[in-house]
Parts: sequence; C-alpha cells; structure tokens
Amino acid sequence: MSKNLITVLDPRGQPSGIFGKVLDLSNPMAILDPEKQPTTTLESMTGQKMADRLDTLEGKTVYLVETGFAGAADFMKEVQGWFQRNMPSVKTVLRSKRGNMFTDDPELWQEIKENGDAAIVGVGG
Amino acid sequence: MESEYRIPTVPVVTARFEHYVQNDSRNHGMFLRYVFPPHPVGFIPKEKLRGYVDGLNPVSGKPLMPEMVEALTKPLTEEEKNPVIEKRPKHPRLLPPDTEENLHRLFLENGWTDGLPIVLPTEERVAEMLTGTDRDPQEVVGRMSVTTHQERLEYTVEKVAVIAVMAGCRPEHLPVLLAIASTEIPAFPSSTTSFSSMIMVNGPIRHEIGMNCGLAALSPFNYANAVIGRAWTLMSINFGDARPGDTFMHSLGHPINYNNLCHAENEEDSAFEPYHVEKGFKPEESTVTLFRGWNYNGINLGPAKAMAEALKRQSSMGRAGTFLMDPLVSAHLKDEGFKTKEELRQYIANEAETFPQMINFIVVGGQTNPMWVLTDYTPSITVSIDKWIPKTGIKKDEKPLRMPQPVLCKDGICGI
Repeated sequence: MSKNLITVLDPRGQPSGIFGKVLDLSNPMAILDPEKQPTTTLESMTGQKMADRLDTLEGKTVYLVETGFAGAADFMKEVQGWFQRNMPSVKTVLRSKRGNMFTDDPELWQEIKENGDAAIVGVGG
Repeated sequence: MESEYRIPTVPVVTARFEHYVQNDSRNHGMFLRYVFPPHPVGFIPKEKLRGYVDGLNPVSGKPLMPEMVEALTKPLTEEEKNPVIEKRPKHPRLLPPDTEENLHRLFLENGWTDGLPIVLPTEERVAEMLTGTDRDPQEVVGRMSVTTHQERLEYTVEKVAVIAVMAGCRPEHLPVLLAIASTEIPAFPSSTTSFSSMIMVNGPIRHEIGMNCGLAALSPFNYANAVIGRAWTLMSINFGDARPGDTFMHSLGHPINYNNLCHAENEEDSAFEPYHVEKGFKPEESTVTLFRGWNYNGINLGPAKAMAEALKRQSSMGRAGTFLMDPLVSAHLKDEGFKTKEELRQYIANEAETFPQMINFIVVGGQTNPMWVLTDYTPSITVSIDKWIPKTGIKKDEKPLRMPQPVLCKDGICGI
C-alpha cells in the first residue's frame, strides 16, 4: 500500500441532542412503526430530578412492578417473599405493567403516586 | 416515575446490561439507582431466583435486597440532585491524514465497518459520489439510533455519500441510499432477539441502476443489490451508533444483517400489480420498501392453501408475514382463481385466522422453480426515491459497472 498520507471523511453521524422516548400505551404495536417513535430533546430533559428518598421503608407501601421481560414476574414474587421474611412491616403490591416492556403506563404510575411510597421496577434484560 | 411522579424507584436490570443502562441513564441526565441481579432471570428455576434475591449484586458485590432498600432510603447525593447532562461534541468532518494502510486499520478497529474491506471515503471520492444527487451536501437527511432511548445521530447528504463510498457504491446508487437514510430506520435495532431486515425496490430505477429482480435476485450476483444492501448496514453502524455489547445487544446476531436481502420486485413477470402500486404509488414512481422481522423460511411449494398453513404455523410475529414468490407462483395463483393480491390476502387471512393487513406479497425470481418463501417480515415503510434523483436523471458512469446478467432462456425451448 502507498505510504502517502491521505485525508478521508469521518463516517459517523453527529450528536443531535435528540433522544428516543418510551412508547405511549395507546398503541403498543407502535414499536414496529418508525413514524410513531416518540422523541425528546436534551433541553427538555434538563432539570429532571430524582424523587427524594424515604427515611425508612418500615410501614411503607412498595409497588413491585414487573415489566414483561422473561422471568420478571417470578423474580418480583421472590422480591415480595424477601420483604415478607425480612421486613414484614413493608406492604408490597405486585403489579404487571400494561402493554409490553417498551410501552409507558401512566395510569399505573399515578396509582403508585396515590397509593404507594416507592417502587421497584424490573426486570430488564 | 422519579421526575414526573416523584416516586422513589429502583430499576432492576440483569447484570449483563449494566453498561447499556448506565449509558442510557447518563444520556437522560439522571443517575438512576440501578440494582443488578445475575443474568438471566428468565427460564430458570424458582429456587435459583430465590438464590439471586438472597444473594449478591454481581456488579457491586453487595447483598441485592439490602441494596434495593438502601436505594430507596439513602439520601440523594449532590450529583444525583443536580445532574449534568453531558452534551457530546461533534466530530470534525475530516479525520487526521494518515496512510491508506493505517486508515483501513482505523476504520476496522473503531468498528466503523462490517468487517469486510471498504473503499476509503477520500474527499475526491465523496465529491464524485455527491454528483449522484442535486441535494445540498450539508442538508440534514435524518437521525438514527439502533436503540430505543439513546441519542440519535444526525447525518447529512454528505455523510450518506461517505457511507456510499465505503460500501463500494457508484453515484447512480446514491438516490436509493438517500431514500433509505431518510426513513431514519436502522437495519438492525438493538433487540436481544436479533432482528433482520429486507430492502425491496420498485419502479423504473430498478433497471436504470442494474438491480436484479429475476434469477438469483437474492444471491451475490448483482452489484447494485450487493452494495445498496451493504450500505444500509454501514449506515446502521455509523449513524445508528451500533456497538456490540454497548448499544447493540443481539444475542446470536443475524447473517442477513450483512446485506439485508436487498432486491427489486420482478414487476414485469408478475401476474399481480407491483407492491408499490398496491401502496398507492404510481407505476412510474421508484420506491424503496423496508421490512423488519427475523426469519426467512424456504423452501415451499404448493397452492394458496399451503401458504395459509405455513402462515398459521409461523409463531415469531404472530400470524404476520411477507411471502416472496417466484413469478411462476403468481401465475399459478392466478390460475387458482385469485385475480389480485387482495383476493389472495383475504383468503389466506381467513384460512390462517389472522388479519389481511398482516400479510404481504412480493414477486421476485427467475422462473426456474415455482417456489415461495414465507418470511416473518412486516413492512416498516415505503418511500419515494424520485425526490433524491437529480433533475437531469440518474447519474450513470459512461460505462456503468455491471456483473454478468443471468443466462435466460431466449428461444422458448426450456419452457419459460
């Protein structure tokens, strides 16, 4: 090969500040439709804050939300069993997220906000 | 949940995906408190799952459940309270000058190729490729990501031309590539299930750029089919930011990812109307349709009833699929009494107990065998290529590069 120096263009796409977003539950099959993939922007994500933590879980209600991935429901049952054995004052509520693992479930999040104190969501993978 | 609903939350993800979700979290500006059980949690005995719950997080080395409790009760750190979103800088247009040998190594070792040799995108070659369209080289064509949530990378007409050069294309292929790029769809989204995709071209451009829709259309005997299919893969790597184990999580991967079954429809020999006309385009328009699924199931023979039975047995995407049929099959089906694709679709849907809109047909092949193939591909989108073609028409080389044409029966002796 030639030892002369040559210049080539970088093939990579450029950062856009635009990100994908979880799908709306109203159309679970939208995962297959490229025109229905919602997006969000770097700017709109700025200012997101994590929720304040609880002082203790004792006496609190924790929602255990299974996402729909294989094994998630059984895993969450074992998590519930652990709380019953080790922290019996914690009330746990087992729930399955509606739609599929890629969809949003704002009704469930609202229910947790109204009736619960914290959530464990999984299992991804 | 954290930000909008103010619910302290522990996301639980298996340890295999630690890097993937940590990156995702950084991209979204919240340092979520992930907890990682061992991988996988699916299809394993309950006793083992209990062991995971009673055991350690393999990433942190700490007991799993106490870590979850701590994630919900330990006060937020300053970094967690005031996250800073990292804005990624743009890459310079040109890479530092180097020798040809070193640049080939750079592209390969950076994961910018499909592992096969590429043509280096020098300024001269890219400038020549850009003669294949009238569009402004800096016009933004779209944004792509192989993941659902991570940052989409933006690309211009020039970036598509860079990919075209790398794939070995000529300017005549560029309009098809720009049309594909404009869909913003990657050839292989990052599902652990290992998706594959298919490209199918309709309209006059098929013949203008020498695509094969006949004998061996899906085999490696056609230049245009080969380089267009490959270019979509290179776009998905470089625009979709596909990095195995990081953003790209196919467990087995898929050999179709190399070329994406790129072909054209055999409109001339089909007994039915072309696919793009079914979708509302004019026969004289050129279009490209992208399909996504997993499986390409041959070899099949037989009438419409056999097609319905095959669809009924197919499980990966419910009873949805696209049939690729030799023109001989389309003629036989017409003889069976199906005057249109729509009539055939209704019949198969009834027999297979599914929805007609979940069934599609493509006619392709060289009439050496009345075969059909059932794929579980569903169409993602059909887009026009014409708007990317120069006003003066497709930019062809003085002597366009073409592989040998299939030898076809011309005297009628073979019965075709």
